[in-house]
Amino acid sequence: MLLAAEGLVCGYGAADEILHGAALTVRSGEMVAIIGPNGAGKSTLLKAVAGMIRLKSGTIRLNGTAVERISARERARLGIAFVPQEANIFPSMTVSENLEMGGFLEPSATRRRVSALFERFPILAEKKRTTARTLSGGQRQVLAMAMALMVAPTLLLLDEPSAGLAPLAAGQLFSAIASIHREGTAIAMVEQNALAALALADRGLVLVDGRPVREGEARAMAADPEVRRLFLGQQDLPLAGGSAPGPTPHRSTAIATRPPDPSGPGPHPLI
Amino acid sequence: MSFLQALVNGALAGAVLALPALGFNTVYAVLRFPNFAIASIATAGAYAGWIANVLWGWPAPPALLVAFVAAGAVGATTDALALRPLRLRGPLTAAIGSVALDLLLQNALRFGFGNDPRGYDLPVFRDWRLAGISIGPQEVEDAGLAFITMTALFLLLRFTRIGKTMRAVADNASLAESKGIDPARVAWIANGVGFGLAGIGGTLVALDTSLDPLTGFRVLLSIFAAAVVGGLGSIPGAIAGAFMIGIGEELSTLALAPTYRTAIGFLAILVVLSFRPRGLLGERAY
Ligand SMILES: Nc1ncnc2c1ncn2[C@@H]1O[C@H](COP(=O)(O)OP(=O)(O)OP(=O)(O)O)[C@@H](O)[C@H]1O
Ligand SMILES: [Mg+2]
Repeated sequence: MLLAAEGLVCGYGAADEILHGAALTVRSGEMVAIIGPNGAGKSTLLKAVAGMIRLKSGTIRLNGTAVERISARERARLGIAFVPQEANIFPSMTVSENLEMGGFLEPSATRRRVSALFERFPILAEKKRTTARTLSGGQRQVLAMAMALMVAPTLLLLDEPSAGLAPLAAGQLFSAIASIHREGTAIAMVEQNALAALALADRGLVLVDGRPVREGEARAMAADPEVRRLFLGQQDLPLAGGSAPGPTPHRSTAIATRPPDPSGPGPHPLI
Repeated sequence: MSFLQALVNGALAGAVLALPALGFNTVYAVLRFPNFAIASIATAGAYAGWIANVLWGWPAPPALLVAFVAAGAVGATTDALALRPLRLRGPLTAAIGSVALDLLLQNALRFGFGNDPRGYDLPVFRDWRLAGISIGPQEVEDAGLAFITMTALFLLLRFTRIGKTMRAVADNASLAESKGIDPARVAWIANGVGFGLAGIGGTLVALDTSLDPLTGFRVLLSIFAAAVVGGLGSIPGAIAGAFMIGIGEELSTLALAPTYRTAIGFLAILVVLSFRPRGLLGERAY
């Protein structure tokens, strides 16, 4: 087991508790999709694993070593690369400088990895001398992920990489994530676009109110009527306007990436 | 005094003021609190420069290097010992602690060197006269040295790995840490560089006025005003602010008695905080 986090309890103040016994396991080379409603604690879970937030209790093992007491910096040294949902770039620095800082721990590889990333994400090459503050939201997301790839992480933690991206750009980012995964990097990814995430992932984890409520093989989870109900309720409620089953055309263009092929029954084509 | 003369004097004074203002903003940008101990740390640097110049007989440029190293060491060490625990309780606590630290250092200097003003051992030149304006060669040399120091800081921040990590921590400390950058180490370096600049600035101010335990304290309001006007934490802002305050103070002497010149810094802070709290070139409001 690459990552085994169990019984995580933590919050932001002395009194509040956001995670009440959350758990996350990732095998080496595996990709886990973490889904759940807004405020469920998905970002908090990733922050806890990355070391950005202090645990009240729980254990986090990386390759068998307990890491819950060591700093975010030392966890980065052990191969955890974290891409936060927000504030995930250095705004006053150029795109190139951001990448260089992303590769702080492996400076000798900077040159080689920057040119590989420029090839993978041409927009970054085009904007390399641009101050990151002036990038569009989508360009920032691409930069943030590229910064994490400036090291060779053993575990990549992605918090909503597709947030704010146009469908085409989200599709491109997802296919980049898929190829990073194919190259053997273990990934834990939080995504609002639950079914797109499950389509890419090996396993899924549903987090509600700081607790894991379901965990399993991604394909089965995408077909699970309970999960579908949960996310239909969450994603389509304002627009569903009735009980009529059938295609919901406004969703059909939501994402332009490998549509899942749910083998189980499902009344709503979500993607 | 003519307007042009005041302008020239102000620009020369601004160049010198820019160094401690840069130091103040460098420290602010990385550690995120105003460290008012900069006044006495600048004075400490001026005494170190005095020791090198008068007791050891060194010329100005290496004496300034001594001032840089001494002030940087005092600033970084006192921060780590006294202010680091306070920082955890928030920037206001650290700022208040820095005022106390300033008084402590000031009295330590008084204990060590006494209250009597000291003079540097430098050749005295006659002022140059140019189109009715008189310019002191010493002031021009000071401004030149200040300019060289500023260029060195710019190159450090722009092109070196350590400079870039300082900017990264200033931008987003927790992201920097998650990339493997050690914030405590960067804090040491930022303090060393920032207070080192203040030490050079303090020596240049002392060369221009006099050296006693209050040398730095007398320019603290001007330093703080330059930093606030330019934008707290902004490097180009510190330079712009220093020139504005330097020139503003000199121009004020055309209309007001010289005792009122310190009011310029206060006025500038008041105006900027009322209308543009983030300063001329600052990126965020506080
Ligand atoms: N920095 C913070 N300080 C205080 N409370 C916070 C902070 N960040 C998050 N919270 C609280 O923690 C809870 C969980 O937040 P979290 O960001 O982990 O949710 P999430 O599942 O990632 O939601 P989303 O899908 O909206 O990103 C929320 O109730 C939120 O109000
Ligand atoms: Mg979140």
